[in-house]
Amino acid sequence: MIPVEYYLVVAGVMFGVGAIGFLLRRNLLVQLMCIELMLNSVNLTLVAFNRMRPDDHNGQMFAFFVIAVAAAEAAVGLAIGLAIYRLSRSVRSDEADLLKN
Amino acid sequence: MELLSNIFPPQNFTLVAVILGLPALGAFVNGVFGKRLGKHAVRLMALSAIGGSFLASLIAFAMLVSFGRAAHGEHGAQAGVQVIERLKFTAWHWFDVSTNGGFGSAPIEVAFTIDRLSSVMMLIITGVGFLIHLYATAYMWDDQRPDGGFHRFFAYLNLFCFAMLVLVMGSSLPLLFVGWEGVGLCSYLLIGFWYSDDANAAAGKKAFIANRIGDFGLLVAMGLLVSYGGALDWEGIGSGAGSLLQRVQVWPIGHAPTTGVAGWVVSHVPFLFQSFNPTVATVVGLCLFLGCAGKSAQIPLYVWLPDAMAGPTPVSALIHAATMVTAGVYLVCRLWFVFLLSPVVMATVATIGVLTAFFAATIGLAQTDIKKVLAYSTVSQLGFMFLGVGVGAFSAGFFHVFTHAFFKACLFLGAGSVIHAMHAGIHDTTASQDMRNMGGLRKWLPTTYLTFFASCLAIGGFPLTSGFFSKDEILYRTYVTHISAASAEKGLTRWEAPTWFGPMLYWVGILAATMTAFYMFRALFLTFWGDFRGWELAKSGAKTKHGDGKTDKHEAAKHDAAHDHAKHDAHGHEPHGPMAAPHESPWAMTVPLFVLAAFALVGGVFNPGLFSKEPGMEHWLLPFFQASEEYVKVKDGAPSAMMLALPGVMAFVVGAGGAFFVYVMSKGEPARVFTEKIPGLYRLVLDKWRVDEFYENTIIGMVESLAETAVVIDKWLIDGIIARLTALVVAAFGTVLRAFQTGVVHVYAAAMVVGIAVFGWFFVWQPQAGATVREQSSGKYVVEASPGLGYKFRWHSKTPDQPDSEAFTGRRTVEVDVSPGETKLVKLDVKNAFDRTTTSTVVVTRPSPSPAGSAQPPVMKGSIR
Repeated sequence: MIPVEYYLVVAGVMFGVGAIGFLLRRNLLVQLMCIELMLNSVNLTLVAFNRMRPDDHNGQMFAFFVIAVAAAEAAVGLAIGLAIYRLSRSVRSDEADLLKN
Repeated sequence: MELLSNIFPPQNFTLVAVILGLPALGAFVNGVFGKRLGKHAVRLMALSAIGGSFLASLIAFAMLVSFGRAAHGEHGAQAGVQVIERLKFTAWHWFDVSTNGGFGSAPIEVAFTIDRLSSVMMLIITGVGFLIHLYATAYMWDDQRPDGGFHRFFAYLNLFCFAMLVLVMGSSLPLLFVGWEGVGLCSYLLIGFWYSDDANAAAGKKAFIANRIGDFGLLVAMGLLVSYGGALDWEGIGSGAGSLLQRVQVWPIGHAPTTGVAGWVVSHVPFLFQSFNPTVATVVGLCLFLGCAGKSAQIPLYVWLPDAMAGPTPVSALIHAATMVTAGVYLVCRLWFVFLLSPVVMATVATIGVLTAFFAATIGLAQTDIKKVLAYSTVSQLGFMFLGVGVGAFSAGFFHVFTHAFFKACLFLGAGSVIHAMHAGIHDTTASQDMRNMGGLRKWLPTTYLTFFASCLAIGGFPLTSGFFSKDEILYRTYVTHISAASAEKGLTRWEAPTWFGPMLYWVGILAATMTAFYMFRALFLTFWGDFRGWELAKSGAKTKHGDGKTDKHEAAKHDAAHDHAKHDAHGHEPHGPMAAPHESPWAMTVPLFVLAAFALVGGVFNPGLFSKEPGMEHWLLPFFQASEEYVKVKDGAPSAMMLALPGVMAFVVGAGGAFFVYVMSKGEPARVFTEKIPGLYRLVLDKWRVDEFYENTIIGMVESLAETAVVIDKWLIDGIIARLTALVVAAFGTVLRAFQTGVVHVYAAAMVVGIAVFGWFFVWQPQAGATVREQSSGKYVVEASPGLGYKFRWHSKTPDQPDSEAFTGRRTVEVDVSPGETKLVKLDVKNAFDRTTTSTVVVTRPSPSPAGSAQPPVMKGSIR
């Protein structure tokens, strides 16, 4: 069996890639994908930890919840992106500063 | 009667619902649906409402009469028939009021009582009210002003009757107050009925505000009665009246200062701070009388009544002559047992009454507006009523209310008829009411003339008319009665009026009566005798009045209406001018005039005090006022009633004869000469002694400057400092905080990352070494560390340098023994899952047993290793 540390390292790398991508990229669609990456890294840790306790399925259940929430988040996020595109003909998040000051 | 008292038992007299409900229903229907119903339906509703109420009142009156006969008849007394003096109906429990400094409580019921006093008032309200309603249907029929409204008028008029009935039937002061305010409201609404004219609206406001001042007195009196008497219903006030004789300190308020500048003033100006302790009855009586003076237009609050003539004439007749303004007299009669407890109050009432009678009569001498003459005459007659009740002649004063309702309503309706006729030719409200433009109207208005003449005789006091009996009864009683004070405490004498007081009031009253006869007959001669002086005005008025651009929209509408009207009654056109001749009014206006004039002439038979030992009205009200005879005594050696009636007759002869001489025989020449000789006095009287101006410059000016001060405070202190400054501070914070709102998602996300990192460092990376100390029993203290995920603890409870055991364990508590006054240090090491350790020191102090030593809370010091 693959030790749990391996999973954690992969998840940590995935989360770091997602977080840094979210902070640095300016394209809304890429930022959304980064969010998905972070969420899935969390899913990975949940499932990995759950493997340590075979009688318990809470971690897997949580992973399903996170997937459902992520789907809803993606729908809302894409709708926001679409609305911003209609407004300013661009999907750059740093140009969408209508709420500045 | 047997049947009636079975249907309506005296203790649960449900007929009250009809008496009160019909006018209320009329007001509701006319007010809400009137516009859609049309004039005919509105007329039917209004008349049937007030007419039905009148019939029900008659039934109630008849039942009272029959009960009275049963009790006081030949067999009644010995057969032990229970005396039924009042018909009661309790609608519901309203509220409780705490009495006796909060220890007791008195229920206030919405209950109505019909007794001997209120039954007469009800007959006046509904009876005279019906006649005036009938009159108004014709008077207001052609009113087409846009701000008028036939249905609105009758809704208000019915509402007024409802409120007035509540006033007289209410069985407690709060309920009376509801009616009191209700009639005030209707008065306000009806004075300003044609509200788009600023003067009318201002008159309504003036009436309302003057009444408000009076109502303040009434409210204070209610509070005092609850506090000292312990009840607010008539019977309760009556039975608690004895406690009103205690003395209260009304001045100085609180304790007079003894130190500092204020103390120096007190010791050097003693008369200012002399303690003033009248009886409660005096204070209550004066407060009640302030309310009466407001509602009944007495000095100093009478100024609103003459202005109230801005309303339609039927309103002046019903509200400002026959009913509402007599509410004050009614209240004095109703609470006579409170007023009579204090001779000071009685003397005040009588003095104010006679002064008002005199003062208003002088103003009436010079007025040219026919309604103003009648208005001042009303003020003057109300003064006579207060003179009557003020000298203890309650039934005489009340009888004057009764007769005055007839002759003054008749005079006002006659004036309305005249104005109605004049209005056909002169389309100007002021000009059509000016007696200088009238004259000779008896040719065209014979009915109006006859009835007006009859009422003039009555108000002037022509022998055997109603006014003669009522006025002379009042004056006679004024001369002969003396009011003795109720039993005084030991060592304190109570004030009583001196013996010359009554005769002095009597002679002032005679003077006022003379002037009354003079100005009433002056009005009669100027209006109905001589030649008509309106032609010139009508001719010139047609050119100037309508050409000077002052004609506004409803003036024009009125104009059209009047023209239509003139076409309807196109009779008796005079060839002289463009205006239609004045014309007699339709039957709906003349019938009430006839009825009222008949009562004005023969109404004296109800109480011919001069010729009868037990006259009707006095006998009827005797059970109500009988107990007053204890205090009101006829002086020894007083002249007989016949003797004292002679000056009254002379007053009529001199007044009416003088008017005849001046205005008929000399065609007003003496009046002109007088005006030119002493123009100053004439101007002063014409300007109503400039009382309005005086009030304007003193009281109103003071209030206005107070308001201006308040404006300055509001503008600079409230708005400037409190509102603007706080807003500025908040705005400054906002400006600073706004800089953080960059609108860029990445910045927010970065801030979030940083924030989470800080939280994580503090709460996860760093162990938190907290602890609480509690005393388990004496000398035994328990130190408990705060829990945390994955935390392990190591204690140094014995000595600070040496841990209890080297290993970290999950044991969160440690026990320490401390002797009194001793302080111990307990060290705590906390280690978390990341093997990081924090140390803190807990100081455990046991307070010393000495009482002086104060308990010190345990102090904790911590440090991170």
